[in-house]
Amino acid sequence: MTETMANWLAAHSTSIIIWCAALCTFAIYSVLYAENKFYRLFEHIYIGLAAGYGVYVTWSELLGPKWWIPMVYDGQWYWVFAAVAGSMFYFMYSNKHVWISRVIFGFFMGVAAGGMFRGFYEVYFPQIGSSMKSLAPGANGWWDTASALVFYVLLFSAMTYFFFSFEHKHPAVAATARAGRWFLMIGFGAIFGATVMGRLTLLIGRLNFLLNDWCLQQVVPDWKSIYFKIIAALVVVVLIALIVNSIARPKQKNSTSSASEE
Amino acid sequence: MNILIKLQQIDRRVIYALVVVVLAVPLIFHPAGHPTLVTPEVHRAFEVIDQIPKDKMVILSSAWGPSTESENGPQTAVLMRHMFMKGIRFGIVSWDQAGSQVTYKIGTSLEKELHKQYGVDWVHFGFKLLNEAALRGIGTDLPTTMKNDKLGKLVSRLPVMNGIKDFHNIGAVVEISASGTLEGTMIYTTQPNGLSLLYCPTAVMSVEAYKYLDSGQVKGMLNSAVGAAQYETLIGMSDVTTQASITTWALSTAHIFIIVLILLGNLGYIASKKAARRQGGEASND
Repeated sequence: MTETMANWLAAHSTSIIIWCAALCTFAIYSVLYAENKFYRLFEHIYIGLAAGYGVYVTWSELLGPKWWIPMVYDGQWYWVFAAVAGSMFYFMYSNKHVWISRVIFGFFMGVAAGGMFRGFYEVYFPQIGSSMKSLAPGANGWWDTASALVFYVLLFSAMTYFFFSFEHKHPAVAATARAGRWFLMIGFGAIFGATVMGRLTLLIGRLNFLLNDWCLQQVVPDWKSIYFKIIAALVVVVLIALIVNSIARPKQKNSTSSASEE
Repeated sequence: MNILIKLQQIDRRVIYALVVVVLAVPLIFHPAGHPTLVTPEVHRAFEVIDQIPKDKMVILSSAWGPSTESENGPQTAVLMRHMFMKGIRFGIVSWDQAGSQVTYKIGTSLEKELHKQYGVDWVHFGFKLLNEAALRGIGTDLPTTMKNDKLGKLVSRLPVMNGIKDFHNIGAVVEISASGTLEGTMIYTTQPNGLSLLYCPTAVMSVEAYKYLDSGQVKGMLNSAVGAAQYETLIGMSDVTTQASITTWALSTAHIFIIVLILLGNLGYIASKKAARRQGGEASND
C-alpha cells in the first residue's frame, strides 16, 4: 500500500507541484478581489515557511560549516571564543550587566564604520571623478559637448536644491533650485516607470506559469479544441458584462462598497 | 462627455481582469520577433563577453530566486548561451538557495541543447552565503573560496578550473541581481582587482544603475527581460521565440494598455471637473 502510494506520488510529482504552486498563486492573488481568509491562511503559511527556512539556512550554511564543525570535529577549539563574543550581545537584557553588551556593540560599530568608509571610497570617488566631463567635442562631435552641458545643468540644479547652508533668496539660486526640483521629479518619474515595468514583468512570470504550465498542460492539455475556445469566449463575455455593469453603477454605491471593504 | 465620467467609476477589479486578458494574449500565442532597437548598455555588455579570451573564466554572481525568475531567468539564460556558443568557460555562484536550483536547471537545459559538458565547459558553485569574505575571495582565491560545487565535488579538481586561481584568470564578473548586491560586488570583487563588471538587474533597480554605467564602474547592463531580449538579437536569435521575447511582447501590450487607461482617466478627470464647475455655476444662478 505504502509502496503503491510512493510510486503514485513519484509518477505524479510534477503535476502535484504544479497544482500546489497554482493554488498558492491563486490564494495570494485573491486579495486583489477582496480581503479573505484563504489569502490570510496562505500568507501565514508563507511567513512560517520563510522563518523556518531562515533558521535552517543560518545553521546549515553559516553556524554548522563555519563554526560548529571546525570547533567540534576539526580541533579548532578556539572557535569557542566566537560563542563567548556572540553571547555578549544578550547582556543588553540585563540592567546590571548591560555594559558587557556595549563592548561588543562598540566593536562591531567600529568594524562597520571602517567598512562603510571603504565602501564610500570605492563607490562614490569614481562618481566624483566622472562628473568632471570635458566640454570639448569628442568622438560624436558637438553632440558630446551638448550631452556634457545637459549633464552639468542637471548636476548643478540638483545640488543647489539640496544646498541648505543659506536660504534660497537670490532669484538665480531660487530658480536653479526650483529647476533642480523639477529634474528630480522627472528622475523619480523614470524610477516609477521602471517599477511599473518590473512589477508587470513579475506578473507576466506568474501568468505565464498559470497559463502555460498549469492551465494549458494540466487543466486543458487539448486547449486548441473547440471547448477551450468556447470557455475563452465565455470569459470575455463575462468580463464585458462586468465592465458594463461597473460603468452603469452609480458612483455613490461604488464608494460605499469600497469604504466597507477598507 | 458622460461616458468619460462614467469610465472613472470602473471597479478596480475590472481593470485587473483586463490587464490579465491583455497579458494573456501574447503569453498563449507566443509571437516571434525581437526588439530591433538595442540600447548602448546592452551592446557594451555583449562586447565585453564577446572579447573575453578563452583562457579566462566569467563569474556569474547570481543573487535572485524564483520570485524574479521572469526577469532574471532570461538574463541568465542568454548570457550562458552566448558563452557556450563562444566557448568561454563560466562559473555561477548563487547567493540565494532556491535561486541556486533555478540557475542550475537553466544551465543543464542549455548544456544539453548546445552539447556542452558540466565540469568542463561550466561549473555551478552552488549556494554560498553572501558576505564580504566570499566576495573578496572570488578575486583572491576562487577555488578555495568556493571549495565544493553544487554536486559536492571539489572545485579545484574539475577540468573547467584548470588554470583558474584568482582575478588574473577572471575575464569579467556579471552581477545578476534582484536586490542591492551590486555595490558589494563592486567594492570587494571588481574594483580592487580591476575586473570588468556587468549588471543584470530587475527593472525596478535599473534606473539607479545608470550612474555606474556613466562612470565606467559598470561596463554594460541588461535591463530586465527586455535587456535579455535585446541581447538575444545580438547573438542572432531574433527569429526564435524565447521567454525573453514573449515577455517583451506581453510588456509592450501592457504598456500600451496602461497608457490608454492613463489618457482615459485624465480625460475623465477633466470632464468631471468641468461638469462640477458647470453644476456649481447653475446652482449659483438659481
